[in-house]
Amino acid sequence: MVSHAQSHRLESGGLIDRSAPLNFRFDGKTFAGFQGDTLASALIANGVKLVGRSFKYHRPRGILTSGSEEPNALVELRTGARREPNTKATTTELYDGLEAASQNRWPSLRHDLMAVNQLFSPIFVAGFYYKTFMWPAKFWEAIYEPAIRRAAGLGRAAGVADPDHYDKAWAYCDVLIAGSGPAGLGAALAAGRSGARVILCEEDFALGGRLLADGGTIDGMPAAEWISGTLAELATLPDVGIMSRTTLFGVYDGGTYGAIERVNDHLPSPPEHQVRQRLWRIVAKRCVVAAGAIERPIVFAGNDTPGVMMASAVRTYVARYAATPTRRIALFTNNEDGWRTVETALGAGLQIAAVVDARPDVSAAHRALAGKTGFPVLNGSVSGVDGGKDGVRKILVALAGGARAEVEADGLAVSGGWNPAVGLTSYHRGRPKWQDDISAFVPDGAPPGMVAAGAANGAFGLGACLRQGFAAGAAAAQSAGHNGNTGTPPVADDEAFLLTPLWHVAGKGKAFVDYQHDVTASDIELAQREGFESVEHLKRYTTLGMATDQGKTSNVAGLAIMAAVSGKSIPETGTTIYRPPYLPVAIGAFAGHHRDENFHATRLTPSHHWAAEQGAVFVDTGLWKRAQWYPRAGEKDWLESVTREVKAVRSGVGFCDVSTLGKIDVHGPDAGAFLDRVYINTFSNLAVGKARYGLMLREDGMVYDDGTTSRLAEDHYFLTTTTAKAGPVMQHLEFCRQVLFPELDVQLTSVSDQWAQFSVAGPSARALLKQLVEESEDLSNEGFPFMGARQVALRGGIRARLFRISFSGEMAFEISVPARFGNALVRNLMLAGKQFGATPYGTEALGVMRIEKGHVAGPELNGTTTAADLGLAKMMSTKKDFIGRVMAGREALAAADRQVVVGIKPTDKTRRLRSGAHVIPKGEIPGSANDQGYVTSVCFSPTLDQWIGLALVERGRERIGEIVHAHDPLRGESYDVELCNPVFYDPDGGRQRG
Amino acid sequence: MAEFSWLSRSPLEHALVVGAHGARDVASGISLTEVRNFNLIQIMARRGKGAELASAATARFGVAAPAVPKAVSASDVTLIWSGPDQFLVLSKSGKHAMDILSHAFSQSASLSDQSHARALISVAGAKARTMLAKLSSIDLHPTAFPIGAAAATSIDHTSVNFWRGNDRPDGQPVFNVLVLASFAESLWRTMLDAAAEYGVDIGLSEELG
Repeated sequence: MVSHAQSHRLESGGLIDRSAPLNFRFDGKTFAGFQGDTLASALIANGVKLVGRSFKYHRPRGILTSGSEEPNALVELRTGARREPNTKATTTELYDGLEAASQNRWPSLRHDLMAVNQLFSPIFVAGFYYKTFMWPAKFWEAIYEPAIRRAAGLGRAAGVADPDHYDKAWAYCDVLIAGSGPAGLGAALAAGRSGARVILCEEDFALGGRLLADGGTIDGMPAAEWISGTLAELATLPDVGIMSRTTLFGVYDGGTYGAIERVNDHLPSPPEHQVRQRLWRIVAKRCVVAAGAIERPIVFAGNDTPGVMMASAVRTYVARYAATPTRRIALFTNNEDGWRTVETALGAGLQIAAVVDARPDVSAAHRALAGKTGFPVLNGSVSGVDGGKDGVRKILVALAGGARAEVEADGLAVSGGWNPAVGLTSYHRGRPKWQDDISAFVPDGAPPGMVAAGAANGAFGLGACLRQGFAAGAAAAQSAGHNGNTGTPPVADDEAFLLTPLWHVAGKGKAFVDYQHDVTASDIELAQREGFESVEHLKRYTTLGMATDQGKTSNVAGLAIMAAVSGKSIPETGTTIYRPPYLPVAIGAFAGHHRDENFHATRLTPSHHWAAEQGAVFVDTGLWKRAQWYPRAGEKDWLESVTREVKAVRSGVGFCDVSTLGKIDVHGPDAGAFLDRVYINTFSNLAVGKARYGLMLREDGMVYDDGTTSRLAEDHYFLTTTTAKAGPVMQHLEFCRQVLFPELDVQLTSVSDQWAQFSVAGPSARALLKQLVEESEDLSNEGFPFMGARQVALRGGIRARLFRISFSGEMAFEISVPARFGNALVRNLMLAGKQFGATPYGTEALGVMRIEKGHVAGPELNGTTTAADLGLAKMMSTKKDFIGRVMAGREALAAADRQVVVGIKPTDKTRRLRSGAHVIPKGEIPGSANDQGYVTSVCFSPTLDQWIGLALVERGRERIGEIVHAHDPLRGESYDVELCNPVFYDPDGGRQRG
Repeated sequence: MAEFSWLSRSPLEHALVVGAHGARDVASGISLTEVRNFNLIQIMARRGKGAELASAATARFGVAAPAVPKAVSASDVTLIWSGPDQFLVLSKSGKHAMDILSHAFSQSASLSDQSHARALISVAGAKARTMLAKLSSIDLHPTAFPIGAAAATSIDHTSVNFWRGNDRPDGQPVFNVLVLASFAESLWRTMLDAAAEYGVDIGLSEELG
């Protein structure tokens, strides 16, 4: 498709690369631009004035600003999965093939049927939702909200996963600088020369700030020349880093700053292996905020007409981008800075229709220029705009004497003064203070280590910006410990500012304060009449400043209007609280690399890849991936696989990777005494070569964790924890060692990852292991009795630790080898067990066998149970003190009616049980009054050929044999179960001792 | 009777593919190398035996064990600070194995073998700091983290022992990471992702350099 000519592009000039033409599409039409354009400047160069529709009234809107404060020119950028709604055209760098679409219009931008909303505008006033949709409450979600969201809103989210990557990074520096205008570059020069580590962040892709548009003379040379000289010098300093396309958006505790770097937003998609954006956490000893200031609009009727633009933005488009938003322009200003626009416009060959200056006095020089050039200077205010979606046609002026005038113009530049960017300095609940000479809020203090300089500090002159920036940079470097020679500061003259405050011009028609949220001057007056006078109430009632632009162009004007109608001064009215982020930051950037399979780190067992080869199904248990079961061809579901695995263990032999258990070396002469204090039972009397089951309590008397601990030497115990509590128990024991019992000579080391450990269980377990160990090793009941623990030599030359412990209830060992031999061990277990039908089993079969055996696990060790609840009261030693002993004796914890572990069986043997069902007495009505406990663990028991479970039931042990009711409202089930002994299988333990 | 072989298998065996990874249009900015076959022993002073352990360590290794977060190297061993009165002994396989050191320090310390509990990854190259800045919150500027600096820290939510080794002959920095074996593959993949844009040269060393 043929590109349209760039009808509004100047023949020469600007910081665009005319040798690099780019094509782009906006609302389906193809246009041309140049490298160095933003989407906004390229649209302007193509004569596009209408770029969007407003939030509430669907009014036609044009481009208002040239920066990140833009409230109007929000577009959907890119297409498909990369579509980003509410993207500011003013900061979107143009690239070849860019596609953007206007938002919040239907069916098209020029013919938006939703503009009918304007007819109802009298009812869409402040507080409209609160007043209108009060009732019925259920209508809100079903009807009102969806309807409102359709009509009033912004762009559409892509709706599918973002295909691009984001990451996060840390950076450190002595001096962090926000902004690359004269103050920022001055600060970087001083700090860099002094030898400090400097990071300068600039949100634009070009460095120089307002110098890029407004120029000036620094050290006797044109600003552009000074910028390139300065950048060249900074490039020679090894510890000065300049990050363009990077916005410093927040400041956090301890001198930590948040910044978002748009690494590849200026390309259609990131190059391979690269990220789209990077979130930086920058730790800085000092920070110089040289973030500049934001020019503020004046509120008058029709001030949102496309073609009404901030004066500074007009200069930026003309001078930096060689794009002319207008051919015959009027200027409305209340300050000297606005007059710069005349100079820029004349230089570009534009006609000046008139300058409307609200101040009583206009300098003789300006009047002379006007006379020479031939444009009128009107003392008064713009009170209205005649125009529409095609732009401005006429400006209506209320002259100071009371008369009216009209000016024909196709554009209007507005300057109401400048507001320092006080965000960063105010993010720790700082409240800026009012400065009369510029009629603006300036920083009043800042978070520790931070200082504002230049326009961000209310100093608007070029010379002042350079002086303040340089001095702040030097001081920051010095207080960070760098005293190198800072050399000569850059020098420039100061321009006059001479502002007479003007916020709002009375007139007929809507006068917008907050463009993005369609808040008008009359909304603010209404809020005041209805009692929402506090600025925080004003904000929430009218939504002033609550759009994605956070009111960068509107907040101060809103406060000023509120001050006027409530008869207070602006400083008395005050500001709302400033909160980061300074700009919207994509959630994807905060997530960084941590999404999808990288959402969190994963832990793999030593046999993981072997299990994967076998086709194991894995389950996430904490960070671990554990084999859940090993399906075989022809098995129709998990239950069939698990049942096979259980039967194989019970009738032959199976093995399971239990390396996920926490393992801790407890060393030292006082190791036994230490364990006596952390476990409820005694370990100091455990013989070397023996293992013992241990239970530890929390300080409050509840059960904390359990596991077996073996004594490998006089001064060396090997303690195991549950998988879930491996980390917390290690922390707990370290706390006990370092803080509670520093007098004990005991050392702890986590060895969880040192050992690959497998449970080998079943009647053939011993026979299997005999294949694996050297002939000299005696594994008989006499040579290796139940709860024995010792090192054994394996055939083929390595040593293992062998523990005769059983979780399954079968004759079983746990064997452990150094972890890098884990993969070999699992293969050797298969080899050694081939003749016995050795079967790998997963966590499901493990769980089935422990329930059959009545062993408690996570669902029972749930933080609300005592040792007695678990049936382990007898383990609590009465001969020693231990953590939790005293608190476990509290009345409620020792009460006779506590819910304790029992077994349950359905009276209907064919019924499936579900954990979570509540236990109520038979015949009672389910409810909290009759609730006597709940089912904690269930399984299908292949051994008993029916579902069985464990439950916590009030006085359960006294009620064995009683039929109770299991009530499961979640799944809509209700059935009878019999309370029984929790040990369903081999209650006398003969098999495991076998 | 079956013959059993006991091949040692690194936790990175599955994930590590020697060769180039990531961007090819740039000179490889990162070398990621796994080092295998090392002994790693945790030594912790018994109560009140810090000074005794220190002199035993000096006698055994010929250098003083670090008392602050540092890694010190002698000809055949690196001692890495891991906490007050404790350090890790990293050496070529067999040099300072558990049974040998147990004997040397039996009077002053408790020892725990960690040789299989960790994987050792070395990150080097012109972009090593840039890449590690994505994973670690430590300031790696040469003045802040000089050769021999060490930290017990977390990388990508995974706890590691981390220290700066001697620069490569080409002057590029080298950072060493001891990561828990079960986390190794996960961290390795994260490192590859972080490094891909700079071009990665993946290597394997069967012996501690």
